[in-house]
Amino acid sequence: MQTTATPVRSDKTVVLFTLLCVLALSLFLQAEFSTRQSLLFLIGLGLGITLLHAAFGFSGSWRAFIRSRRGAGTRSHILLLALTSLLFFPVLGKAFPEFAAVAALGPVSVSVLVGAFLFGTGMQLGGGCGSGTLYTVGGGHVRMLITLGFFVVGALIGTAHLNWWLTLPNLGRISLIDSMGWVPALVFQLTVLAVFYAVVVWLERRRHGDLKDLDSHVPRSGFSERLIIGPWPLWWGVVGLALLNLLTLLVAGHPWTITFAFGLWGAKIWTALGGDVSSWAFWSSGYQSRALGQSVLADTTSVMDFGIILGAVLAAALAGSFAPEHKWRRFDVTTAIIGGLLMGYGARLAFGCNIGGMVAGIVSGSLHGWLWLLAGFIGAAVGVRLRIVFKQDPPMGSKT
Amino acid sequence: MSRRNRLIMGSAIGLAAIAVAVDHTSHRLPEPVTATSEQDGDELAGSSEAPCGLTVSPCSLDESPCSLEMESPCSL
Repeated sequence: MQTTATPVRSDKTVVLFTLLCVLALSLFLQAEFSTRQSLLFLIGLGLGITLLHAAFGFSGSWRAFIRSRRGAGTRSHILLLALTSLLFFPVLGKAFPEFAAVAALGPVSVSVLVGAFLFGTGMQLGGGCGSGTLYTVGGGHVRMLITLGFFVVGALIGTAHLNWWLTLPNLGRISLIDSMGWVPALVFQLTVLAVFYAVVVWLERRRHGDLKDLDSHVPRSGFSERLIIGPWPLWWGVVGLALLNLLTLLVAGHPWTITFAFGLWGAKIWTALGGDVSSWAFWSSGYQSRALGQSVLADTTSVMDFGIILGAVLAAALAGSFAPEHKWRRFDVTTAIIGGLLMGYGARLAFGCNIGGMVAGIVSGSLHGWLWLLAGFIGAAVGVRLRIVFKQDPPMGSKT
Repeated sequence: MSRRNRLIMGSAIGLAAIAVAVDHTSHRLPEPVTATSEQDGDELAGSSEAPCGLTVSPCSLDESPCSLEMESPCSL
């Protein structure tokens, strides 16, 4: 569907302020930490711009597919997984030994099953997934501040309970790349994704008789105007996110992740309020303990998350859509709180959100990523129905 | 766009910035890194202070923020 472009009035004050913040923070990170830390912040900035301009979210897309079988968003996710797998498998399979990187391998476990289910439900109630919450906060959506706040609370509670969840049945880490070699594993994975894509296309065509285009945004006069002001077609988002995820892998040494930072922020706030998390098993050793004991700016996931938020602020200001009006509905606050808590807790149990658990897992060839996808989608289907109960959406089949 | 929402968002971002600054200054600062290309290359090859950095890493199989002393899933 193509519609006529309307003139855009960029918010110049916010654009200028954000650019100054970005410049200051990137220089500060380079001076205080390293070029690497500064680069990761800038990669996060790129991710935020891409997510907002392409309106690339998982919760809305899954909801559209579950409710009305419209599959453009879901197809874009499958394309993202396929393209990122193409980029990741050779690197993780040591086809280029000069690039050292580690895969996001998680256990195929009850904790992932339950965590992803809770996350899927939570992202429908909260109004955004892991990446979606960050970029909509950056876009100035006030309700999403509540979701993010309780996302942090949920993640902190999750760190308190994770040890118990890890005692439940667990098949351990299963890597397709290690089991099959990266070439057969890549062929197998792309085949599975192609089947998924075909199923989504079939279901959409069966319901509507046609497919919604991945390039259905408002056209702008030129490429550069569209690039800067947006909106972007979904396939630009797919390409942008895949390339920026690859850059993250090469610079950070691991795939793009989001929600470890939320637990860390929660632990730091709790400590500042007089609490003590150092006795919790999760925070008592290893990277977590060190992260707690040093500046939040030393944590790469935090720095990337800050970049995503500022990138989204910048993109929204350029598009003239920063801090839009929100018509508050009866259960908006309730659903934001419940959704945030479920997502935070679920992400910790599931070894990451839709990005760090599902996307990173699948494109690393880890079977836990596929388990996440299955459980997360079932959770989303439950969440879609709960949205109707909480008056966030009309009943199924309604036109409005 | 809403003036009130801009004010709320500005306040939230300002508060977050203050919280980060307080947190940063309350911890011992790391040794400054001289920005030479050789050192930068070393960091890219294996920072020891990153989640999923390559030498001391939650994603390496030794330590994980996700898995405690158990096997190491690295999705953060």
